[in-house]
Amino acid sequence: MLSAVLPVCFLVVLAEAQTDSTSPVSSTGEVHGSIVITKADEMRDESVRTGLFGRYAAGQGREGSLLMHAADTLEVPLSEKAAVYLEGEGLSLHQYPPSNREPALDQRNMQFHPQVLPILAGTTVRFPNRDHLFHNVFSYSQAKEFDLGRYPINDSRSVTFDKPGVVRVYCDIHSNMNAIILVLPHPYFATPDDEGRYQIRHVPPGRYTLVLWCGREIVAQRTVTIRQDESIEENFTH
Amino acid sequence: MTSMRKVRRIVSAMLLLLPVTGGAQVFLSGQSAADFVKSSPDETQLAVNGGRPTFGWQSHLFVDGMVNENVGALVNIRVTNTQTVIVDYAAIKLTNLTPLQLSFQAGKFDLPFGNLADRRFPRNNPLYGIPLIYTYATSLKNYVMTRAELLSLRGRGAGMPLLDNGIYADGAMVFGSWGILDYAAAVSAGTVSTASYSGANVNSDLTKTFRVALTPLTGLVIGAGYSWGAYLAESDYVPAWLSNVNEYQQRTAEMDFKFSRGHAVVDGEGVYNVWEAPFQSGDQNLSAFGYTLEGKYTLFPRFYAALRVSGLRFGLIDTGSELDRWDYNVNEWEGGIGYFLYKDVLLKFVRRETRTYGGSRPRDGLTAVQLVVAY
Repeated sequence: MLSAVLPVCFLVVLAEAQTDSTSPVSSTGEVHGSIVITKADEMRDESVRTGLFGRYAAGQGREGSLLMHAADTLEVPLSEKAAVYLEGEGLSLHQYPPSNREPALDQRNMQFHPQVLPILAGTTVRFPNRDHLFHNVFSYSQAKEFDLGRYPINDSRSVTFDKPGVVRVYCDIHSNMNAIILVLPHPYFATPDDEGRYQIRHVPPGRYTLVLWCGREIVAQRTVTIRQDESIEENFTH
Repeated sequence: MTSMRKVRRIVSAMLLLLPVTGGAQVFLSGQSAADFVKSSPDETQLAVNGGRPTFGWQSHLFVDGMVNENVGALVNIRVTNTQTVIVDYAAIKLTNLTPLQLSFQAGKFDLPFGNLADRRFPRNNPLYGIPLIYTYATSLKNYVMTRAELLSLRGRGAGMPLLDNGIYADGAMVFGSWGILDYAAAVSAGTVSTASYSGANVNSDLTKTFRVALTPLTGLVIGAGYSWGAYLAESDYVPAWLSNVNEYQQRTAEMDFKFSRGHAVVDGEGVYNVWEAPFQSGDQNLSAFGYTLEGKYTLFPRFYAALRVSGLRFGLIDTGSELDRWDYNVNEWEGGIGYFLYKDVLLKFVRRETRTYGGSRPRDGLTAVQLVVAY
């Protein structure tokens, strides 16, 4: 079914921490929880439409035939399309050195993987091509403008994102391909696992807005208060 | 077996082949363009509105009706500033039919010939016009002409182009891929030059079109196509001395390539075409060769430059006193720049120069500004 419903269990298990030791304060708390998405997946629907019905693809080389077969690999797991992060004035008062790790935004099976990638400002992101055809990754977002051109399979280009903001990433050749890079001014964010479980650790005590980004937009936000050495649970159903 | 039972069996067999997953949806998308055009004066086919400054617009609406992931109905509707509504494309498409993973479409669709593909639409076309081989009307019409009439129409744009503006024709097509090879075969009413005249077929023949495309390496596609069919219309104007218009064929071969790397994209296409023309004094093959080479380079994010050169060369005909070309040769270049105001909003500035080797207007020019929105 195209209007897919994504059942996600409510087990709360600690997921991979995204914050590591970058917290400037020694006494911290954490927030964890789970995410359930029940609404139709717009990103997937658009992929189905354009992937199957590349009108002028017949007899136009492997580019065209792959375009028509791309509908087979369209289910997007929650870990690739959602992110949870905190907003609060206090969080932007510090300078956070970006991690040496360079996350990747893959181009694979005519899609970006993941489709939502949260990063700390200053992070360099790799854009490896995993397909046997060209992609042309670009963004005209205010937070970062770039155009990587076309490069073959297993080749990669990198972009450093210095300015916080939402960077919408597209492929100039395949209009169904889109992804979002959330460039955050602090490291207090998390990507859920495939069951929707998330955890943000080492958060300085304070009152924040907890934001759930799913697909192309913010789908839920709420105020939370994090106290020293406490772990609070916040679950989302959308 | 009655014909109705035969149809039922064929339809039932086709349905059994389809991996139906359920759920039907309709998607709408489109492109619109608003233009300002100033061309050289005169009333040639290369002039726009007699050379008067002109505002124009066009909209293309794409309707995708999906029965499931393998079955859909596709419709393109084009509306222009002449208030004309044209259905360019209206086809049922079945993809990945088991067990051979063949795809099939029937209805009105673009014949598998050439590599114009989606560059026919303003968002995908880096320039304003499309190549001469798709637009330039020769002096040959799809009915029986005299030599004198043919020669008198040289450069006037009264006849058929080599490839009919997008080559949408009524018919059926099967296509698929095998490794690095893509293939397509179609039968249609109307040839590659008369596709838009089809619908109710104008003669008793069907046009056969084949295309293969190789992708030897990522970013390079080399294609070739061949098409043949009767192009003359059966009508009351067929002279008594002509026994059967369906014997006079149009035969067209083409080769094309597409190469891209980094920020550069290059498309090229060459077409050799022969119309078998009946004249009372004896039949004659009217040949024509057309080519186009188009390049686009993204200079920096949002901004690109593009250039296209095109040409048409026409074969010789015996005029009675000498050998002469049956239409005037043409060369054209079109260059421009484009700037993406947003991802799907494109502003283009284009200049085009055309030189016709004969007739009263050897040079034509056109300047265009075009704003395109895709949605």
